[in-house]
Amino acid sequence: MDNIYEIKNLSVHYGAFQALDNIEMTILKNKVTALIGPSGCGKSTFLRCLNRMNDLIDNAVVTGDIRFKDDTKDIAKVNPIELRKKVGMVFQKPNPFPMSIYENVAYGPKRQGEKDKKKLDEIVIRSLKQAALYDEVKDDLKKPALSLSGGQQQRLCIARALALEPEVLLMDEPTSALDPIATQRIEDLIAELKKHYTIIIVTHSMQQAARISDYTAFFYMGELREFDTTNRIFTNPSLKQTEDYVTGRFG
Amino acid sequence: MNKRRFKDSTFNVMTFISIISVTFLLGMIFWFVFSQGIGLLNFRLLTSDNQAVNYVGAFSSDNYPEFMDPSLESDVHFIERYGIGIAERRDLAGNTVIEFVYVDPDSPFTDIALLNGGSLSVTSGMTLNRVAFIERPAAQRSQGIMNMVSALSDEGNTIRELSFTRPGGGIRASLVSTLYLIGLTLVIVLPFGIMSGLYFSEFAKNNRLTRITRNFIEMLSGIPSIVFGLIGLSVLIPFTVRTTPATGGNLIAGALTLSAILLPIVIRTTEEGFNNVPRPYREASLALGANRTQTSLFIVIPGALSSILTTTFLAIGRIIGESAALIFVLGTAVRDRVGVFDRSPSLAVHIWALMTREPPNIELASTIAVIILIVVLILNLSIKLLVRLLHRGRY
Amino acid sequence: MKNNVIMSNLDKHTQRLLLLFSLFASSVIILIVFFIVTRGMLPFITDNDGLGRVSLFRFLTGTVWLRGATFVSTAYGAGFLVINTLYVVFLSLLISFPISILSALFIAKICPPRIAQMFRMVVEILTAIPSIIFGLVGAGFLLPIIYTLATTLGYRSNAGLGVLGVVIVLALMSIPTLTTISETAIRSVDRSLEEASYALGATRAQTNAKVVLISAKGGIFAATILAVGRALGEATAVSLVAGNAMSGPSFIPFDITATLTSMMLMGLHETSGIDYDIRFSLGIVLLAVIFIVNVTLNFIKKRVGDFGE
Repeated sequence: MDNIYEIKNLSVHYGAFQALDNIEMTILKNKVTALIGPSGCGKSTFLRCLNRMNDLIDNAVVTGDIRFKDDTKDIAKVNPIELRKKVGMVFQKPNPFPMSIYENVAYGPKRQGEKDKKKLDEIVIRSLKQAALYDEVKDDLKKPALSLSGGQQQRLCIARALALEPEVLLMDEPTSALDPIATQRIEDLIAELKKHYTIIIVTHSMQQAARISDYTAFFYMGELREFDTTNRIFTNPSLKQTEDYVTGRFG
Repeated sequence: MNKRRFKDSTFNVMTFISIISVTFLLGMIFWFVFSQGIGLLNFRLLTSDNQAVNYVGAFSSDNYPEFMDPSLESDVHFIERYGIGIAERRDLAGNTVIEFVYVDPDSPFTDIALLNGGSLSVTSGMTLNRVAFIERPAAQRSQGIMNMVSALSDEGNTIRELSFTRPGGGIRASLVSTLYLIGLTLVIVLPFGIMSGLYFSEFAKNNRLTRITRNFIEMLSGIPSIVFGLIGLSVLIPFTVRTTPATGGNLIAGALTLSAILLPIVIRTTEEGFNNVPRPYREASLALGANRTQTSLFIVIPGALSSILTTTFLAIGRIIGESAALIFVLGTAVRDRVGVFDRSPSLAVHIWALMTREPPNIELASTIAVIILIVVLILNLSIKLLVRLLHRGRY
Repeated sequence: MKNNVIMSNLDKHTQRLLLLFSLFASSVIILIVFFIVTRGMLPFITDNDGLGRVSLFRFLTGTVWLRGATFVSTAYGAGFLVINTLYVVFLSLLISFPISILSALFIAKICPPRIAQMFRMVVEILTAIPSIIFGLVGAGFLLPIIYTLATTLGYRSNAGLGVLGVVIVLALMSIPTLTTISETAIRSVDRSLEEASYALGATRAQTNAKVVLISAKGGIFAATILAVGRALGEATAVSLVAGNAMSGPSFIPFDITATLTSMMLMGLHETSGIDYDIRFSLGIVLLAVIFIVNVTLNFIKKRVGDFGE
């Protein structure tokens, strides 16, 4: 089993506010790692560190060490564009571009320089299939993305991220804006995807974490409280606080 | 990878070049207008008539005392004999003239009997064209100032006749017309606009009639101002001729034309201002037993004061700058008597008149443009300050 | 805060009074169209003091404009004026559109906020400058340059007056409004779309070009329609640089030209008769052109918007 991320001493400040305090964690390849914790505990901030999306926030200060795979350098020293080719992200609210379904999925590869129409067609179809959306849209890929339902749009965003063939997929509460049926479909999708990708998912729902993840990290007030296999976290956690959270006594 | 970076930088550079060009455009406009126009800008320009008036006359009396030399500027020649100081200056059009800089109150020049009857006093600012003598040929302006000075100072010369001019080239009339226009237009359009805005904000029902009314008012803003000018010419002038002492194009018709142009924006801005007055204020008023009219008068309208002031300033800026609509209604002949029932061009129309003459008077046009630009700038800054000030004290 | 409250009698009167004002305000446009049309129709249906009727067909398609009273003719042709007007506005858009959009992008997305405020003010001041001053600067500054350009290129030019001058002046006048409204449209693009683009490894320039501008498409198009409408109706600035051609249409940059509006400003001194009425006929044509262009552009906007790309 190899590690896809090695995180040491990771801290994040937004101005005077400390969002993350000295996080230390190892994330394993081809596993689903869930990040849970009450609102504002820093799990989304942590997620955004992994593909350097925090760079986009002006007053965010990120210190510490994140190693991606075998890199000897901290990812802060790596070209963020290269990093984002390998680490994709799906957001909480589906955000397809106001373009056709095809153009949405082809966006990533096109920006990275792919021009060959045949290859692009291949990529689009493959990604849509991987996201379990292809059968529903294959008749008209030129249809506007915004005409799809919420659940379909989110799967489109997943397809869009997969088009770059990343190694890691970061998901920030991907089903919180969707209805139960759409949620179910995406959870099934995640179970499939983990065979080929490493998935790190922030979720508000304990049940979801229990259902789909292999490992779970419990965050509280910017600190990583406990990190273990999902089984342990939910049946026999080390900390009382963890147990209180997963059984719903708070948060 | 390098190709993409190259494309990216080119794109970013192009956006930068664009905004720099726009800034450059602003600078160029200001530079041109100011460099051409600032030379002529002085108080005299703003207060003089446009038409020069020529006078011919002679002294009324032959008795005059000795005069003392008051200290005058270095280029002024004091003629002891008559108590006047003259200098070679440039008039408002840039021509070289002999200007009366100083006229002693006891000087015979203060009591000239005009050939056409009546008497007049020469005042400083007037220019001397020609002095006819009994003993020698007349001294002309074109012969230069030194010639004039020596001819006048010579004790042996007796003045037979004088020709002098009250110079024109001033823009007083246009300034006053513009001010009249602003006043009249605001008096017409503000009440109309505020009441319509109040209707839409407070009293209108959400039905088809309201929507149609709104649409029709919005459509007005799509009509070019020259069309409003045609209406002013064909409808408003006859209307005002019939209902007021006016006999042709007049400022009231101009004000009505401008009011029509400004109506949509005044209504829109005031309505927005009224809508922004928070609901709780209205509810409190109604809960205290006031009716909707009172609430509107005492709560809503005062509450939208900043919007109303903003729209007033915007309107003033628009009035000062409007040319096409007023060319038809006010004409391009610059008059010097300005009355509300007379026609007299505004500043903007005056620029147009100067530019369509042969040859176009770019300098004077630029001077007027300088005035307009400064006023417009001040208005814009005032709007910003106003909004900031008024909103701090309120919600 | 309207109708769920019972109104007192005073309020009912107030409502009626205010309604009257609003109805009057909304009737202004009807009155305008009515008077323009009734006056402007006269040359086509009356005898024009013995000069004969103006042929509507010749008017709409004609390429020569002969002053009726002077030439004892009714050969008023406005066709070339329509072509000229559309031509110069279209060309001016080719210049003003890219400059405005790119400037708006720079201010909204690329520039640090404090400097952005400064540039925003520059654009605001430009918006407030009256059109006559653009005409003044065009005539005084631009025309000599055009003349020099023409002579060095070997063209004949009437003191620089002509198509090129009109195109440049219209472009410069359109830039401020286009930039301002586009900037607003760009700033209102959903942040999460930008984030999605960055997360897919796009650079800032790519995100701006491919996502932000596309998403702001609707607002930008609306701004363009507005700018076009204004340019079509611009009178004084154009007339100072156009050159008052009496025939046409003029396509070469250094040829003198005339637009619907500049022709309306000519011949100011007639107060009755055919030369007076024909100005209103031009007014009808101008309103019709603006209306048709607006409807067409709005139609295109809807089509492109629906398609989503």
